[in-house]
Amino acid sequence: MTLLRQYRIASFLLVLLAIISFAIAELDFTMLFIGVVLATSSWYVTEGPRGRALPEWVANLLVVSLLAWTAYDFMMFRDLVEAMAVLGEFLLWLLVIKLFAHRTNSEDRQRLTLATLLVVAGCLESVQLVFGVLVLVYAALAVWTTMLWRLTLSAESARASRAANAGFALPLEIAIGRRAAPQFRGLVIIATATIFALSAGVFVLFPRFSGRTGGPRHGHSVSGFNDEIQLGNRDRVNDSRRELFTVRWKDSSGALHRAVRPLLLRGAVLDHYDPNQQRWSSDRRSTSIQTFRTSVGDHLSKIGRGDVEASLNDSIAEIEMRSLATDVVFSLYAPVAMATPETRLIAFDPTTMLLRDVSTDRVGRYWSYRLQVDQQPSTALLESLATSESSTERAVSFPVPKMRAIAQSMLNSAKAGSNLPSEPQADSDAAIRWTYNREIARALASWMKANFTYSTDLSSNARVENEDPIVTFLQSSRNGHCEYFASGLCAALRALGVDSRVVTGFIAIEFDDDAMHYVVRESNAHAWVEVRTGEFAWTAVDATPEDTLLRIAGENRSFIDRFRWIYGRVEFLWNSRVVAYDAAAQTTIAQGMQSQWRAALGERMTSASNALRTLAARFNLGAGASAFWFAIIALGATTATLAMLIVRVHRNRVRKGAR
Amino acid sequence: MTYRGALAVNATPCHNGNVSLVTQLPRRRTRLVRAGAVYIAVVIVIGLAAASRPNNLLVWVFSALVAAMIISTFASGILMRRVRALRIEPRRGRVGEPLIVRYEIRNISRYVPVYDLHAHEVLTSERLRCVGDAWILHAGPRDTVHAESVFQPMRRGPVRLCDFEVSTTFPFGLLRRVLRFAQSGDVLIHPEIRFLRHEILARVTAGGVGGQRLASSAGGGDDYFGVREYRAGDSVRQIAWKRLAGTGRLATIERSRAVPPRVRVLLDLRSPTDSLRVTANERARDLEESAIVLAASLLSLADRMGYEFALSVAGVDLPPIALRRGHFHREKLMSLLAALDLDAPRTVGNGIASSDERATIIAVHPDRSDTTIAPRDSWHFTARQLESMCEITRAASESTTHADASSVGAAEERA
Repeated sequence: MTLLRQYRIASFLLVLLAIISFAIAELDFTMLFIGVVLATSSWYVTEGPRGRALPEWVANLLVVSLLAWTAYDFMMFRDLVEAMAVLGEFLLWLLVIKLFAHRTNSEDRQRLTLATLLVVAGCLESVQLVFGVLVLVYAALAVWTTMLWRLTLSAESARASRAANAGFALPLEIAIGRRAAPQFRGLVIIATATIFALSAGVFVLFPRFSGRTGGPRHGHSVSGFNDEIQLGNRDRVNDSRRELFTVRWKDSSGALHRAVRPLLLRGAVLDHYDPNQQRWSSDRRSTSIQTFRTSVGDHLSKIGRGDVEASLNDSIAEIEMRSLATDVVFSLYAPVAMATPETRLIAFDPTTMLLRDVSTDRVGRYWSYRLQVDQQPSTALLESLATSESSTERAVSFPVPKMRAIAQSMLNSAKAGSNLPSEPQADSDAAIRWTYNREIARALASWMKANFTYSTDLSSNARVENEDPIVTFLQSSRNGHCEYFASGLCAALRALGVDSRVVTGFIAIEFDDDAMHYVVRESNAHAWVEVRTGEFAWTAVDATPEDTLLRIAGENRSFIDRFRWIYGRVEFLWNSRVVAYDAAAQTTIAQGMQSQWRAALGERMTSASNALRTLAARFNLGAGASAFWFAIIALGATTATLAMLIVRVHRNRVRKGAR
Repeated sequence: MTYRGALAVNATPCHNGNVSLVTQLPRRRTRLVRAGAVYIAVVIVIGLAAASRPNNLLVWVFSALVAAMIISTFASGILMRRVRALRIEPRRGRVGEPLIVRYEIRNISRYVPVYDLHAHEVLTSERLRCVGDAWILHAGPRDTVHAESVFQPMRRGPVRLCDFEVSTTFPFGLLRRVLRFAQSGDVLIHPEIRFLRHEILARVTAGGVGGQRLASSAGGGDDYFGVREYRAGDSVRQIAWKRLAGTGRLATIERSRAVPPRVRVLLDLRSPTDSLRVTANERARDLEESAIVLAASLLSLADRMGYEFALSVAGVDLPPIALRRGHFHREKLMSLLAALDLDAPRTVGNGIASSDERATIIAVHPDRSDTTIAPRDSWHFTARQLESMCEITRAASESTTHADASSVGAAEERA
């Protein structure tokens, strides 16, 4: 195949790759399927044996329709990120229309430009590894296509100028040397490699401004975690095995080991249920948020007042993000102290015991942190963490009328065969109330574990009209995932007057014995309940059957999972080295290089100075005069070398000119 | 003045033959093309977006675009560094016919190939118009490649080709790297030749001295030429017996030699351009050029018909050319017509008073006939008669050319 014929295929592949890249960036597989099918069929339609193209008026009509559709979408968008997505979709469909148009130089130029803009729009949408790899492939393909395009364009223009004077000028006879195609491939490879190397340099040196917020939709990488729960939709829950972060669990002696029970990593506390929208959310805005700066290194910054000494119950959780960029600090109950590799500003909410990174460069970092937690906190510790707002008791109820009866029925069933304490009187001691709360919650959770089934697929569940999904779950279906279990338990407890709240986060149940850490995946996103068991104390109660979770985690493992760790490592490198590369990383590299340079230069200077001293001593130049004489000699040698170089260059010029 | 001397009046040959050696390295320049300017604008926009949105993938795209710009700057320079070029121009061209100039591109690099080379002539004269630049797809290391540019000669006369440029926008079309080679060369553009009707010459040479078709010397024909003394070896059949009987001396009958008709074209340029009589729609210089075209066309027609032909130019210090036949003679006369400088001062009174060449004299006048310039039995044409004498008028010729072009285009389309 000649060079000029390769261009058609190269440009088509480039456009196809741009479409695939954008659809992957958007995680829209419908768009991917339709776009690829249409693009592929365009090749047959325009380049096939019939070689037809879309009539111009039809293409124009389609473009106008697309514009109208995009304008409507623009009016509906909510934020800038969505606007960019709409713009990208517009570019994609415009590109597909252009694929069916006549192939002219101007159309080719438009296609290549649109394809590049589409990839840039994708960059604004995603930073996923797969998309990044596609962008790299696109760049390499773009180099090849652009170089071919130059040749094709020149050939076409030369032919056109001859054709314009047909009958007078002779047809173009393309002058070509030997082995044009292999040499062209070599040039493309060299150019691509050089561009990649140079771009890496520019990438490293490109100024990053701290304090900027925004960036791509890191949350767009579905992590499973959400700071609200929307019930009622019957979608499958996220069962992706993508590795989000790892947790190393150390006891007070610093030894790594596996915890007795699964680790519940808290991310959000949801204490408000809206029966109209069937949604759990956090509407309580705490007024006593405390901020502190984390320590760097081994020292841990105390959270709260920090006036309570560490106890034997304290453990250390080292959490390292792999593919999740978030400012939420996933912590166990109750956090005591915290450290990060670099100083971060952390906000602590005493009412929920949640931590959040509020540093100004909240770019979505693939960071790591160490947390000291006390899983059985003493009252003194809790008091040191809490504020007066934390101890405020509230009237507990659940805004669904039928729930009281359902909860009572559940309680009666749970009481059967057990010796649960009776409901305390209103004027009874607080300790009795707290014990009652804990026992009731545990009893209901055990009963639910025994009588409810866990399922990630709710598509087969019948939905009852005008009935709250929690009621349906507790009364009829008795089938759901962790969000339903947590919602059902929390609703029942509240209906019985027990103060409780839903907590979302992750459950660490998969322990890697070789690496001695927990691996937390997207599918480990979890929801559970916390029950008030003290003035400041809350106890986690999980109604979701753990054995079912473990069994599902085991079932989800496939043959690919054996090699998934490779992808995980690459993705971690991508996220930590490329996506999270920022001003701090630049400073670190610069400081490292500076110290290396200094060390290397210092060695050279010292050895040169020693050599000069030796020479001065050998020729008896004297201590004071040696530097002066050597400077004169160095100046003379430099001048002579420069003169020789100039003469040589001049001679070469003359010789080449004569040739 | 000789032909060479006449040529030297307007153009000084600067080389021996039609190829001159390049004796100095080319001048190098870099130009930003429009696509490059657009590219830079796009890169700046993406750079601003990357700086304002901390998106490292966008930063990498920006970096790759910047890297491509850097590569484009240096790569084209490296690729073109060892390119040498030579122009091989023809000695002569003709108005109305394509003039093909060849370029020899040498890539003296050992390792680096070059792609997408354009050879472009830096024209300083309006006598030539480029209708197709030379384009070279590829010249490998140590390769020599030839490509051709096509020019359309617009007016007759000497043309000096001074510099030419070899340029490339490879690899990405952002910058144009130009090598400018200084190589002088001269091309003489002959006047246009129109296809005159055959009967014109046939009629003017049908009678009179031009139509005798007999040479002034004896030959091997049938007609009687004369009698001379017998020489040893003469055929007995040619002996003039009657003369022998009368004088008693042996004599031999000589036969005439058949020769083609003879035409001498006399171009009347005695009147200065300013003193020509022209109508409102005419330009005096155009009339003179038309007269030259008519003279060239007559000479060309005479050549095609096998006549002996010659040219005299009145008003220019140029001796009459002898009657000859053949291609070289015609080219010599065409060169003479091409080199005529109409801006030079005119001389007076060097027409043809009488001639013993036994050739038909056709006088060509720019504006009006002046019979005093030639003997009485000469023919006189004016430049205004050119179109009416043509076999195909210019309009018809152009329409034919367009038809040819469209048929060529259709053929290419079918192919």
